[in-house]
Amino acid sequence: MSMITHSSRRDWLRNTACGFGALAFHDLVRAAQSPLAVQTPRFPAKAKRVIFLFMAGGPSQPDLFDPKDYIKRMHGQKVSAPINTNELRVGTDKFLALATHGEVRPRGQSGTMISDLMPHTASIADEICLLRAMHADNNQHAPAALQFHTGSTTDVRPSMGSWISYGLGTENQNLPSFISIHPDSDVRLYGSGFLPAAHQGTRVIVPQDDKQSPIDYLKDTSANPAAQRQRIDFVQRMNRRLLQQAEVDGRMEGMIESMEIAFRMQTATPELVDISNESEATKELYGVGNKDCDKNARACLLARRLSEAGVRFVQVTMGGWDHHGDIRTALPKSCAGTDQPCAGLIKDLKSRGLLDDTLVVWSGEFGRTPWSQDLSGTSPIEKHGREHQPESFCSWMAGGGIKPGISFGETDEFGFRPVSGKVHLHDLHATILHQLGLDHEKLTWRHLGRDFRLTDVYGNVVKEILA
Amino acid sequence: MKRTFQSLVAASLLLSPARAEDGLAFFEDKVLPLLQQRCYECHSHEKKIKGGLALDLKSGWQTGGDNGPAIIPGDLTKSHLIKAVRYTDPEMEMPPKAKMPAGEIELLEKWVAMGAPDSRVAKTGDKQARTIDIEAGKKFWAFQPVHDAQAPAVKDASWALDPVDRFILAKLEGVGLKPAAEADRHTWLRRVSLDLTGLPPSPQDIERFTADTSPNAYEKVVDRLLQSKAFGERWARHWLDLTGYADQIGTSNDVFAEHAWRYRDYVITAFNTDKPFDRFIREQIAGDLLPAATPQERAANLIATGFLVLGDVEIVAVDKLKMEVDLVDQQVTKVGTAFLGMTLGCVRCHDHKFDPIAQTDYYAMAGMFRSTDSTHKTDNGVWSCVNKTELPETVEQKVEREKRLTTNDSKINDLKAELEASEKEKAVLDVKIKTANKHSKPPIVKRLQELTPRIKVLQKDIQHSEFFAPAVPKAFAVHDREQPTDMRITIRGNPYALGDMVKRGVMRVASWGELPPIPERESGRVQLADWIADARHPLTARVTVNRIWQKLFGEGLVRTVDYFGVRGEAPSHPELLDHLAMRFVRGGWSQKQLIRSLVLSRAYRMSSAHDALAMQRDPDNRLLWRMNRQRLDAEAIRDAMLAISGKLTLSQGGPALPLEFPENAVNLAPKAVNPPAILFKKHRPVHDYERTVYLPVIRSAGQPGSAKLRDVFDFAQPANFTGKRAETAVPTQALFLINSDMLRSRATELAKDLCESTPNAGARLEALWLRVLNRPITSTERDEANQFIHSLTAESAWIELSHALLSSNEFLLRL
Repeated sequence: MSMITHSSRRDWLRNTACGFGALAFHDLVRAAQSPLAVQTPRFPAKAKRVIFLFMAGGPSQPDLFDPKDYIKRMHGQKVSAPINTNELRVGTDKFLALATHGEVRPRGQSGTMISDLMPHTASIADEICLLRAMHADNNQHAPAALQFHTGSTTDVRPSMGSWISYGLGTENQNLPSFISIHPDSDVRLYGSGFLPAAHQGTRVIVPQDDKQSPIDYLKDTSANPAAQRQRIDFVQRMNRRLLQQAEVDGRMEGMIESMEIAFRMQTATPELVDISNESEATKELYGVGNKDCDKNARACLLARRLSEAGVRFVQVTMGGWDHHGDIRTALPKSCAGTDQPCAGLIKDLKSRGLLDDTLVVWSGEFGRTPWSQDLSGTSPIEKHGREHQPESFCSWMAGGGIKPGISFGETDEFGFRPVSGKVHLHDLHATILHQLGLDHEKLTWRHLGRDFRLTDVYGNVVKEILA
Repeated sequence: MKRTFQSLVAASLLLSPARAEDGLAFFEDKVLPLLQQRCYECHSHEKKIKGGLALDLKSGWQTGGDNGPAIIPGDLTKSHLIKAVRYTDPEMEMPPKAKMPAGEIELLEKWVAMGAPDSRVAKTGDKQARTIDIEAGKKFWAFQPVHDAQAPAVKDASWALDPVDRFILAKLEGVGLKPAAEADRHTWLRRVSLDLTGLPPSPQDIERFTADTSPNAYEKVVDRLLQSKAFGERWARHWLDLTGYADQIGTSNDVFAEHAWRYRDYVITAFNTDKPFDRFIREQIAGDLLPAATPQERAANLIATGFLVLGDVEIVAVDKLKMEVDLVDQQVTKVGTAFLGMTLGCVRCHDHKFDPIAQTDYYAMAGMFRSTDSTHKTDNGVWSCVNKTELPETVEQKVEREKRLTTNDSKINDLKAELEASEKEKAVLDVKIKTANKHSKPPIVKRLQELTPRIKVLQKDIQHSEFFAPAVPKAFAVHDREQPTDMRITIRGNPYALGDMVKRGVMRVASWGELPPIPERESGRVQLADWIADARHPLTARVTVNRIWQKLFGEGLVRTVDYFGVRGEAPSHPELLDHLAMRFVRGGWSQKQLIRSLVLSRAYRMSSAHDALAMQRDPDNRLLWRMNRQRLDAEAIRDAMLAISGKLTLSQGGPALPLEFPENAVNLAPKAVNPPAILFKKHRPVHDYERTVYLPVIRSAGQPGSAKLRDVFDFAQPANFTGKRAETAVPTQALFLINSDMLRSRATELAKDLCESTPNAGARLEALWLRVLNRPITSTERDEANQFIHSLTAESAWIELSHALLSSNEFLLRL
């Protein structure tokens, strides 16, 4: 059984019957049948919201969190890893060990291993739970990213933000429940699949200048604002007359209402994404103005603002981690672009007392191989990169009832296969839902005769990391 | 079952009575605590029975889970349980979170080696394995033969224009409801025009129809619409929704599917020529194996098999065997959804949980696609590509192509000549600049600044012209393998864990006899297609007429249009569904004929007006007491706006992707690590004015250019196979309507056209309403519109008013 009645937007609008043109969005949301109405979690929740920091491309865990002495010793030489021989290898067929770039050292009281390339993350070592034996199923970006977001490598399924919105509704009636900042171009990563579209992610761009619009079609294209309002009034009069003739039509009511919301969004959205009235200290904490990381700093700061305002699931995507070649030059840049914004977010949440009930997840769609990749076949080892590796990689979580300052899971001497504390991303999904008070086996939606779940038929809550 | 029995015998043979007691003591002391501690959380009746395996009973591991018995007593290498705890197979590592300590693994090994003595006896309430009973399954309505249903008697016989109406009316009369009155002619004309062509009627169409007092006025309209090319352009898109069609292969790296458009055009032509649906089925599943009378027919047959490969094929998979069986799964699933309304994908890993479909049914069909070649490995890194087949050409086509080839060759020669000259000049200048002085240097620098980028452009242009040189036309298509074979069950879809071999065949629950033998050296796709396209098939015709009904009436008679299984919804009018299915088959599987009858029925003429009593008794309108209102789909919204503003440009079809612009094509070098791909740097201007069906479809990103509207208005995700799109009302859509450039452009064009064609402002208002809403303006609206116009400046007033109408609910809905 599903925990929530399956009612589409159309159904609940129909149920609210007689015209409510004068009612505002928040009244609608409060209506019991609204898909976005606040839902009571299944059991007491540790977290109320999630911020997902998605490192698109696959950050290199051997360089950042999981160095191996064996690989260091064997640097430049062939290693014989227990690889899957059914797979084609391009540029990695020599299996040359590639030593960790820079130093990875124990940090803080916890001694969590973090690279020198991430000094800011090192400074929050005691706040995070490092998952060192993450595991996923596909080694190509598109299917792997899809699986990370939806649980499936192929089908078009609802993304985790949509499932969470469906499970918990929204706490801020004037904002969407799921916002994705700077999302990947693949719309499936923030789509609601077969869930009602009210749960789909809203794509937001943090404007770098006046010309950029935070969301699509926000800028008025008419002669002047007054003309636009007049036009909308004219249309809405027609719309309401049509509705009157129809007497009952939930769809029409929904369309009328969305036009009013859209109109209000034109002023509300720029205000919301405007970070200018944040204090200088806060901006500095994230690295706003620092040319290496300004864009991500603004995005992370916005994520905090949205979370604070009640958005259930906020995602920030930070790309550029796909280091197939010359990883030693490229990796420090990716770190510099993300380290301070991510760590700043944790510190900021903590100082505001928000970290306790905000679950932050940092991860790529997979990790990278401990052996090198050289697509040219002729570069010296120092110029090599690393291939994708879903067999094991590292992610971290913070806040939201997760044990701080621990490392969980171990990999073999290569850093290839988990040997303990293996966390499949279905397990990660189950754990995220669990912290929100949702049972991943009971949060279901009937589609084509079957009850679908975020975790499909898999997933175990990782109890070892719960505080 | 047989295997379980054997293992029981083996176990009893292994243990002599004396040693058995020691064995049981060992089990209870050492093994049982281990099982409880390590396994019960996921494999016991108290907690969960994952993968169908319970380890809290002896019978649990004997029967085993989805992989068969978990333990073969005495045989360590064949016991899945030992394999799993040893962590030798990455696909099956148990316990999943961490390997057990070596000592514990040794205990289990010892236990299995001694024959796995187990003192636990079966409890009552032990979970019975579910077996699929095909004969019992056949009793479900959807698997019953289609029944030749006679139209029932009705009280108000004059209401019925077609037998369809009697089925509808009888049900309504049965519950004391009245059908809605007829819609006025304006409403009906707009409805039927949008439903059949995706375009609104023109003012001339409206005038002609409303003035036509002849008894066949309605027929004339319908025949005109069915004969227009626009009919196929709309209905082809409905079909494409079921195929996962995109102009992109897979989802990674924007790999272009440069021949996919041929399949799209094939589908448009199929609808426009009213290709019998049984023929349409055969061509798409087995066109390559069908005889053809002409080269054109042969080409069409080959192109049709694109159906099997134009979904989301993940060609970048590094495990090619897995990639191939994944594609087989997609093909079985697609055939199941599109033609049969069955969720066959579920049966890849286990018998269907709800429907009478066994794993053997799945692998019987999968074997046919496993015997079919769909992809091949390319020279690009780890990549594969969907197979392409050369198409036969007519003599004229060949002559014309060779002419284009000559032109292309001379273009390449010119480019090469220029490149050579430029490179020479640059080489000279590169030397010269080293010794140049203050005065002679600037002109050299300037010239080099021109030359360097020009050389790059030339290189790119040459590569592009060579890559896209006119060649024998090709289509994405399949062909049979040289050695077609039956397929073995893959356990949990893992191609390296094989179960029993399954003879190629079809779904038994929907069969009426033995499948004709599959000729040697053939895949069996012909036999599969013949079975699906057979008049006796219980699903094909029902599923197809229900899809057509849904497009015209807003909801299917079976609302779960893609799923006719046990958990689907029962038909609201089962006799009507059968009547239509029977009529469809008897009418030679003609879709146009069926559509024609339906839109000429009284039921289709009903207004969508409210009725308090009916609303109370049947709020979902399942009995069809009125017409369902529908929101236009993305294509109809965009196309109607283009038609209304007078900007719609007719298209002859052809390549969807703007690959003619060199800047849009990357990775053209042979053997590059990544395959050729498209970037949408430059748009083909005519795309802004062509019907939406002709615009490129991208699977993994937002839709390019003016196709972007698809993302806003519920376009079917082109990795899915879906007969019914979601229909949502979200603020994003309203923002698009309020502020998008597209709306603004259409409104501006419409206003300009109106102002030029109709100088009189009063007449202009009439014209505007007729064009956008396809009905006369009311007096209230006239007053409001006049007020609105006077409150704005002259140049913007008509644009704003046009914009208003184009964003109105009445325009976005068809009533």
